[in-house]
Amino acid sequence: MYKGIEASRGIGIGSICLIVERDLSFESKHIDDTDAEKARFNSAIEAFKAETAEMAENIRKNIGPKEAEIMEGHLAMINDPTMAGEMTKMIEAGQCAEAAVTAVCDMFIGMFSKMEDDMMRQRASDISDIKVSLLKILLGVEDVDISKVAPGTVLVAHDLTPSMTSQIVKENVVGIITEVGGKTSHSAILARALEIPAVLSVPGITELVKDKDTAIVDGTEGDVYINPDGDVVSKYVIKREEFIRAQAELKNFFGKETVTADGDRVELFCNIGTPKDAKKAIECDGEGIGLFRSEFLFMDKPHLPTEDEQFEAYKEAVETMNGKTVIIRTLDIGGDKDIPYLGLEKEENPFLGYRAVRYCLANKDIYKTQLRGLLRASAFGKVKIMVPLVTCVDEVRAVKALVEECKQELKAEGIKYDENIEVGCMVETAAASLIADLLAKEADFFSIGTNDLTQYTMSVDRGNANVAYLYSAFQPAVLRSIKNIIEAGNKAGIPVGMCGEAAADPLMIPLLMSFGLDEYSVNPVLVLTARSIISKWTKAEADALAEKALSLATEAEVVALLKESAK
Amino acid sequence: MVSKVVKVTNEQGMHMRPATVFSAAVTPFESDVKIGFNGMQYDGKSVMMLMAACIKCGAEIEIICNGSDEEAALAKAVELVESGLGD
Repeated sequence: MYKGIEASRGIGIGSICLIVERDLSFESKHIDDTDAEKARFNSAIEAFKAETAEMAENIRKNIGPKEAEIMEGHLAMINDPTMAGEMTKMIEAGQCAEAAVTAVCDMFIGMFSKMEDDMMRQRASDISDIKVSLLKILLGVEDVDISKVAPGTVLVAHDLTPSMTSQIVKENVVGIITEVGGKTSHSAILARALEIPAVLSVPGITELVKDKDTAIVDGTEGDVYINPDGDVVSKYVIKREEFIRAQAELKNFFGKETVTADGDRVELFCNIGTPKDAKKAIECDGEGIGLFRSEFLFMDKPHLPTEDEQFEAYKEAVETMNGKTVIIRTLDIGGDKDIPYLGLEKEENPFLGYRAVRYCLANKDIYKTQLRGLLRASAFGKVKIMVPLVTCVDEVRAVKALVEECKQELKAEGIKYDENIEVGCMVETAAASLIADLLAKEADFFSIGTNDLTQYTMSVDRGNANVAYLYSAFQPAVLRSIKNIIEAGNKAGIPVGMCGEAAADPLMIPLLMSFGLDEYSVNPVLVLTARSIISKWTKAEADALAEKALSLATEAEVVALLKESAK
Repeated sequence: MVSKVVKVTNEQGMHMRPATVFSAAVTPFESDVKIGFNGMQYDGKSVMMLMAACIKCGAEIEIICNGSDEEAALAKAVELVESGLGD
């Protein structure tokens, strides 16, 4: 078995088509007739543009407009004066076209590959693609025609260029293996868009295989088998069927309501970090936003965002969600999230220090700017304000008073906002959990942040490898805390959500259902998975499991029970 | 020669798309358009050089135009950057 990077999920079993690198070596020679060489170069450029435009069109039609941007980028680059222009200059000085193309492309590859920025480094591979395509045209080298491979083919190549990928016929290619590339490379993006299992960066794979070898590509785990035993093949045939069934089953949940096996409705929201992510939430069939982290507005800029900047960002998310709930968490800085221009002092215990609502209430001007931005956005949809790191009732009251103050100001200025905007709190500290009944009288809703709740309840820094083993939401202490919070909210008649990672955990979901959670907020890509898990449990089954789980004394016992009972 | 310092405000900085938008908009001008950043000058009509400059969101850049239509070129360039480069 060979290990690589899992780049596109699924299992592919098939016969290998090895894409051999073409020999693109050439002899550099001095050119006397530079006009003729320029003409040869220009016709190669024209051929390249025509070829690239056609591929872009192919990808747009067969895969999607976003993926076609890669090829459009190649066109923009070759049209750049510093690309073809520099090459022409070198030809005029007597270099052959091949040498000019190589020199200019290599210069840019060198420049981009040294950059820290991941997206910029990706440009180096774009230019490398351009170089190879131009050299092939100049040298008259033909590519393997990938569009003609037989059904059941596993493509093996050093690298899969976008030009190769654009020729892939989805029905015929069952897997992709390459020697280079990572999860964000073009090959990975295109493989995922085509839903073809892919394992990238398998060292030396082109040397290890020959045409017609049998290969298994496990794009979920990143494993590759070449000419495997019958046992392995049968194991993977089963795995492949299971994967296909699970995928099909998940797709069935798209556009459906989120209901338990009893038919009880719960809400399934998404966690997002920027207004643009709201589109993703919609694409993934999220029913609202359960956590919109507002920190990006403060971290991406060298200064505090203005009220207008904040308003525009919140409004964009709210309008994208088109009437669905958007819960926006107010500034949650401090702890591990530093904003340099605020000049916060280094603290001995940042997680126990000056952060989140504590900072905001001490800097009312900054906080009011945000609250006004939020209130103004509330005129465009359903906005709820969520206060992070609450530890006592006074904090909720203080925030509500500030919200009231902002409302009066806006009213006096004749600016619209939602008069009935809800203000809720994150319940993510041991203190808030213990007084959940008191907080429930003040807050309009709760949202449990399991990451911080686990950290504070267990008194554990999950970044510290020596103690990270204690960091688990399945610790009996954390489970009791979650149960207490949800019950307090239910009793007071306010909705309780959860926006930590645990809300999408298949092992945690039945417990949350039993405790009475109203709203699950998950990463957009996990919406369908969570909906599927929720649909499998009845309240009675979940209650029976929760009762057993809560009677157990250790985390290991709890996890073992939940795994054994998982559906 | 005319010039102005502006702040790049689009989220992604001078990536592929913003760089393409910028160079396409200033190319029709006869004037040279240069971007001064980090002590270097880059050709504003070149997507490649704009990207190579590695200009991030929040960076302050100097737009320098030189030629017969330098005022118009500068006005256009400044407006583009301030409006977020089509992002």
